[in-house]
Amino acid sequence: MMINSRILSLILVVLSVHGIPAALADSKPNPQVLVTEINPARDVGYHVGDILHRTIILKAPASYKLLDTSLPLKGTEKKYRGQNQGVEVRSVDISEKQQGAFNIYTLKLQYQVFTNNVVVKPSQLPAEYVKFGGEGRVFQVRIPYWSFRISPLAVYGSVKIENDMSQLRGPLLLDDSQQRLALWIALGTLALSLLGLLYILGNRRWLPRMGGEFARAYRDLKKIRKQNLGLETGMTRMHHALNQSSGGSVFSADDIIARKPAFASIRDELNQFFRLSRHVFFDTTAKHQVQGDPEQWLQQFCRHCRDCERGLNK
Amino acid sequence: MSDRLLADWQAHALNLESEINKVVVGQESPVRLITTAIFARGHVLLEGDVGVGKTTLLRAFTRGIGGGYQRIEGTIDLMPNDLVYHTYLGEDGRPHVSPGPLLSEGENLAVFFFNEINRARPQVHSLLLRVMAERTLSAFNKEHQFPHMLVFADRNQVEKEETFEIPSAARDRFMMEIPIVVPSDAEVMESLMFDTRFHNVDALVERVPAGILQFDQLNEFAALVQDKVQASPALRRYALNLWLATKTPGQYGIQISGVDINRLVIAGASPRGMAMMLRAARVNAWLNGRDAVLPEDIHAVFHETVAHRLVFSPVYEMRRTEIARELLSGIVNAISVP
Repeated sequence: MMINSRILSLILVVLSVHGIPAALADSKPNPQVLVTEINPARDVGYHVGDILHRTIILKAPASYKLLDTSLPLKGTEKKYRGQNQGVEVRSVDISEKQQGAFNIYTLKLQYQVFTNNVVVKPSQLPAEYVKFGGEGRVFQVRIPYWSFRISPLAVYGSVKIENDMSQLRGPLLLDDSQQRLALWIALGTLALSLLGLLYILGNRRWLPRMGGEFARAYRDLKKIRKQNLGLETGMTRMHHALNQSSGGSVFSADDIIARKPAFASIRDELNQFFRLSRHVFFDTTAKHQVQGDPEQWLQQFCRHCRDCERGLNK
Repeated sequence: MSDRLLADWQAHALNLESEINKVVVGQESPVRLITTAIFARGHVLLEGDVGVGKTTLLRAFTRGIGGGYQRIEGTIDLMPNDLVYHTYLGEDGRPHVSPGPLLSEGENLAVFFFNEINRARPQVHSLLLRVMAERTLSAFNKEHQFPHMLVFADRNQVEKEETFEIPSAARDRFMMEIPIVVPSDAEVMESLMFDTRFHNVDALVERVPAGILQFDQLNEFAALVQDKVQASPALRRYALNLWLATKTPGQYGIQISGVDINRLVIAGASPRGMAMMLRAARVNAWLNGRDAVLPEDIHAVFHETVAHRLVFSPVYEMRRTEIARELLSGIVNAISVP
């Protein structure tokens, strides 16, 4: 026993004289590889079938290459204490680019959960080991694991929600994506309708075919009515607008429609206007058939002409 | 009372139109214009190609109006005295003088029909000028009156040989110059060819009932129409602007292709011409059952009452008809109401 102890001591001395410097020379520290993880944002609430995405960025000296053979294999599943973890590698995607004196490897990993439990179960995306080779040596780099929790699909046993009024739980929400979509569509339609309405009611020239003769006449008619300048002034303004719009003096609905077919839809109103004009300017005994306030009617008529001018009346 | 009178006469006038339209087909517009001229007491000059029915139309109206009717043919050797008297040797072998076409009907002369007026010499035009304007004639030391007389004249615009241009002063005496064109309706054209009733003009004119109108009441009634049919201030302004535009069309922005508008018009419409236009417009309003003149009434007679009065620069006279039409259409298009 003593001899054995002496031999062991001798070996240690020899090693200390010759072997240790050599061993120290071989065990030069591995090149530094910078590992950056981009893990899923949420670490709870996963169920069977869920897919987790993990991106690992490895920055290694350019003289060292990542060995593809060391990458995790698709379809493999790590064990923990002899038990399958229930988290399987679904896909592995590696890309490489060079940045100065370094190689940047972007490793995109997808894992799929294949386990379930009746209560919340801790789990993890397993640690992976990848190897680098270069300059006559091979070394491995550990990608750390990432912990998360797998939730049960249903609450185990009967639950009395009254007894579980934790503020931390938050309200249980229904899926409202359909309603949200409908809401956005409705809001979009409303916005377009409002724009259309603005276009119809608008008096200014900010879109094509706006600010035409009748838009200006409409504004003038409103002022004429406000200032009580009388029906004759309004009729004169409207005649002017019709003449300008038609490119010459017009004296009947047929005249206007021959020059501006878009006005055919308001033929009756045009006839009514000329009857009113006849009453106002030429023959006070002539019937004009305008019910109510003629100035108000004239304003409405002008608006209808404006709609025709913009091509809104078909 | 006067309203009923107006309505009764309107019925007569429309009846006359209807009867004339049965005899002279496809000429509704000229028929309406001549009816208007009759009730406005204005003389009418028809212009058109040969054989389009000018004479038939005027003869038909003459029959419808009733009263004395005289006709003379314009020829190059026609002299003014031919209208006033005839001289002949009587059975007694002595020279005799008898009244010519103007005098033979006395005051009952309702229609004096001058066929082919442009074949007559300017001397004849001069005589006619006075007769048309004043409806009087001095002959045999006596002043003869023709209070009911209307002059209907026609001329064809094709033949220029042995014709004399009617001077503008004589043209101005006519209330209307009405163009007569061949109807464009194929059915009417076919009827004019194949319907034998159109082949005998005398028999055709006989179809018009004689004396639909009372010729000796027309003056009085015409005055009533002029009195009853009103023209509003707006319409007066409009008519005034039309008149001014005939004088200086360039100032109203009127353009005619190939014409220097500022040098086109030497003289616009005359005051007499515009007064005649308003008279005709009033009659048109009455014929349409209105008691106020509308712009449409003016438009209905504007071309026919104004075009022949315009005096153009000689360089444009050859294109007179075409230019006058464009000018007056341009004026109507440019002048607005109110």
